[in-house]
Amino acid sequence: MKPTKLPVILSEVETAQSAAAAKSKAPYTHSRPMWSGHSCPLPLILVLLLILTFSPKAFSQDKPIALKGGKLLTVSHGVIENGIVVMQGGKITAVGAASSVNIPADAKVIDATGMTIYPGLIDSETQLGLTEISAVAMTNDLIEMSDEIMPHMHTADAFHAESALIPVARLNGITNAVVAPDSGDTLPGQDSFIQLAGATAPDMLLIRDNAMPLNFTGDQRRNKGGFEKQKFPATRMGLAAQLRQSFLDAQDYKTKWADYERKKSDAAQNQNKDKNNDKDKKSDPLPPKRDLKLEALIPYLEGKKTIVLAAETPSDLETAVGLANEFKLKFVLNHISQAQPVLDYVASLKVPVIVGPIYEAPKDDERYDAVYSLPAQLYKRGVKIVFASYSAHNVRNLPDQAGFATAFGLPYDEALKAITLNAAEVWGVADQLGSLDVGKTANVVIANGDPLDVKTDVKQVYIQGQAIPMTSRQTQLRDEYSK
Amino acid sequence: MQSMSNSKAVLGRVVLSLSLGLTATMAMTTLTLTAPALGQSAHSDVVIKNATVMTATHGTIKNGSVYIKDGKISAVGETVNAPASATIIDAQGKYLTPGIIDSHSHIALDDDVNEATSPITPQMMMKDAFDYQDKNIYRALAGGVTTSLLLHGSANMIGGQAVVIKHKYGLSRDELLFPNAPRSIKFASGENPKRVYGARDQLPSTRMGNFAVQREALVQAQDYMREWDAYNDKLKRGDKDASPPKRDLKMEALADVLRGKILVQIHCYRADEMLTEMAMAKEFGYKLRAFHHALEAYKVADQLAANDVGIATFADWWGFKHEAWDAIPWNAVMAMRKGVHVAIKSDSEDYTRRLNQEAAKTIRYGGATEEEALKMITLNAAWIIGIDDRVGSIDVGKDADLVLWDGYPLSTTGVPEKVLIDGEVYFDRALPGLGMTHYKEGE
Repeated sequence: MKPTKLPVILSEVETAQSAAAAKSKAPYTHSRPMWSGHSCPLPLILVLLLILTFSPKAFSQDKPIALKGGKLLTVSHGVIENGIVVMQGGKITAVGAASSVNIPADAKVIDATGMTIYPGLIDSETQLGLTEISAVAMTNDLIEMSDEIMPHMHTADAFHAESALIPVARLNGITNAVVAPDSGDTLPGQDSFIQLAGATAPDMLLIRDNAMPLNFTGDQRRNKGGFEKQKFPATRMGLAAQLRQSFLDAQDYKTKWADYERKKSDAAQNQNKDKNNDKDKKSDPLPPKRDLKLEALIPYLEGKKTIVLAAETPSDLETAVGLANEFKLKFVLNHISQAQPVLDYVASLKVPVIVGPIYEAPKDDERYDAVYSLPAQLYKRGVKIVFASYSAHNVRNLPDQAGFATAFGLPYDEALKAITLNAAEVWGVADQLGSLDVGKTANVVIANGDPLDVKTDVKQVYIQGQAIPMTSRQTQLRDEYSK
Repeated sequence: MQSMSNSKAVLGRVVLSLSLGLTATMAMTTLTLTAPALGQSAHSDVVIKNATVMTATHGTIKNGSVYIKDGKISAVGETVNAPASATIIDAQGKYLTPGIIDSHSHIALDDDVNEATSPITPQMMMKDAFDYQDKNIYRALAGGVTTSLLLHGSANMIGGQAVVIKHKYGLSRDELLFPNAPRSIKFASGENPKRVYGARDQLPSTRMGNFAVQREALVQAQDYMREWDAYNDKLKRGDKDASPPKRDLKMEALADVLRGKILVQIHCYRADEMLTEMAMAKEFGYKLRAFHHALEAYKVADQLAANDVGIATFADWWGFKHEAWDAIPWNAVMAMRKGVHVAIKSDSEDYTRRLNQEAAKTIRYGGATEEEALKMITLNAAWIIGIDDRVGSIDVGKDADLVLWDGYPLSTTGVPEKVLIDGEVYFDRALPGLGMTHYKEGE
């Protein structure tokens, strides 16, 4: 492999970073409770945070960058050998064969000869920013288990921008992700769509409440501990009845508010007509009491937002789809890892599927590769698939799953799309992300080989056109103990 | 993640002279015991030709052949001399590797992993719980695994004695046991024991408690061993009135640890605990074979190498508990470069099915060579279990445990096409149904 100029770029970034840290006008103007109890001096904290959490704001792309000579996996329009990608103002401004692209005179040119260049990868379900150390309860904000119907929980409210897990994930080329609550409730709360770099949580949260999981896998039952301890809903019947009642309540709530708004509007009109008549003022309607839970369900009942419908077995799948159709919910499917007998039915629904993880164990009587081959089986039936790591610490291994699916029949291009363009389409951001196309956000990865191979090393990640420092808590430990 | 099953073990290494003696005895016994079994299964000679043979010890042979006689590797090379009657498998250029060895697994135990009712349970024999019909054995086999070390969990400081199996799925229980494998015992340390017993307001609830409990048990074992030594001395001197001390299974197992008869495998994450375990082993005069998980091995790799203690570690797991917070994916290669025996293991019914991918990560994280990466799931794992003289590489005299791969094994896309154990095909991807040769569906 030919050495590239990347190390030089890295040191420049590091220098810029130190300079920004020295100014102490870091993007972190807000202090975080996590740190406030510590006696660690603030400037040191800021330096640490800067090392661990890169901030595009502090280093907005000031001049164009041209990646020259690499093999471009555009995802949308094939592979370009010896290509050029130009990034400017955080966007991709040119993509093409070296012979056809003019590099701006002021561009910083990166020699990517021998490298593979592809769009930043998108993980369609993660817990990034909701957990730090799985077994340490105080670092987890994964789910509220006090009730099964929790649509008013917003992962955006818990998202921890400074999580040490985020640099670890993006070092492997993951630039965007869906953050979802854990799956122990039927309606555990709303997802966020994030970018894996940014000054603050709001900067990284590209879309708050972009979607909401509806989990129907049996795990949501409150049936643990025998008859003495179990409580409603202890069965799937209970789960379904509770969901149905919740959506009915939300419909009713919506009607009440609509009535109120109409009455208010009527009252206002009457007032305008008869300004001097004080007697009519008492007819001003009172608003219904606000209910955050029911309020949160309304955009989903109206089909304005996507429900992520999780089921595994055929029976759960059909019950869940039945519920979704009853309330005309717009949905994508999630998991369906045991639904092999009903894949034609799945295809007939004409919705995308977040499939897997394909590492789920097959049923006891099934062949060892029954789940490994599920993506290929869905693809054959015309289903749009995307992959997810369903993880926080192992988000970096998302591409391995896509690669593994190719060994069991999924065409390579589809596997790559399942963690780039298909995901962008499912999450409504295909105009900005998911491929190397002019006008899209410059989330671009340079690696020394096939992005779907476990051996491939990512050399540089760009987010919004800015070179991300290729460091994490883990590289720091490595370097410290390699001295 | 089943944190309770994240067991670790320190390998109590056998003193060299003892080890040699044991090996010789084992080899003899093996011959005697396995000869009838081989006869029953009607072994024919097999030649695998046109293979890209990744030997794990002496490089890769392009267009190589392996001659298998009586279940053993009889010849390896560009050409081999074999009788015309031998069954020929034409590999058509595909990769052939040694069978994968998982040096840390909890499959086939039906959750009987921890007898978590006392922190010291060395008398627990994994063999008694071994569920040889567990489908996980088959699924791992389909991923190229031919041998596994089934260990106790890490709820207890000393969990019990392990069992080594070959993945001959479809055969009877005893046919799955690795013949005359060295005994291994599972120790643990750190968060799991202190959590399990601490939650019950029992000792141990701290790392201090952990080590005190372990030390206490070893002290008792020393007393027990002395009583028996004294009795045996009396017998030797011809004292016919000598009465034997009462046998105590718990103490007997620990006395065998002190005598260097059992490989000590220790579940251990933190560097300081590895140092403490090594110091305790020195204090009581036993040896450790390997630290399992050992996610901070990179911090104390010199000391591990100096004590000849191996590690069976994850490729890149981290952050699932506090003692896994300093885990880095470069751990395996950093330790290997310092001279530590490093194996990549699964500790998981999931990952055991694709250990080849896990091993390949060491190429990316730290620049292991192809052979070094392969060794981490074959020969080095065999060393951890103490069976490296019998399996783990494609060398003459070793068991013909082999995997023929569709695709490059150290990649995301390489998958086993055929898996042979003792020269016989047990899994063949081309077969319908489960792809099994020795298992009938519905059984």
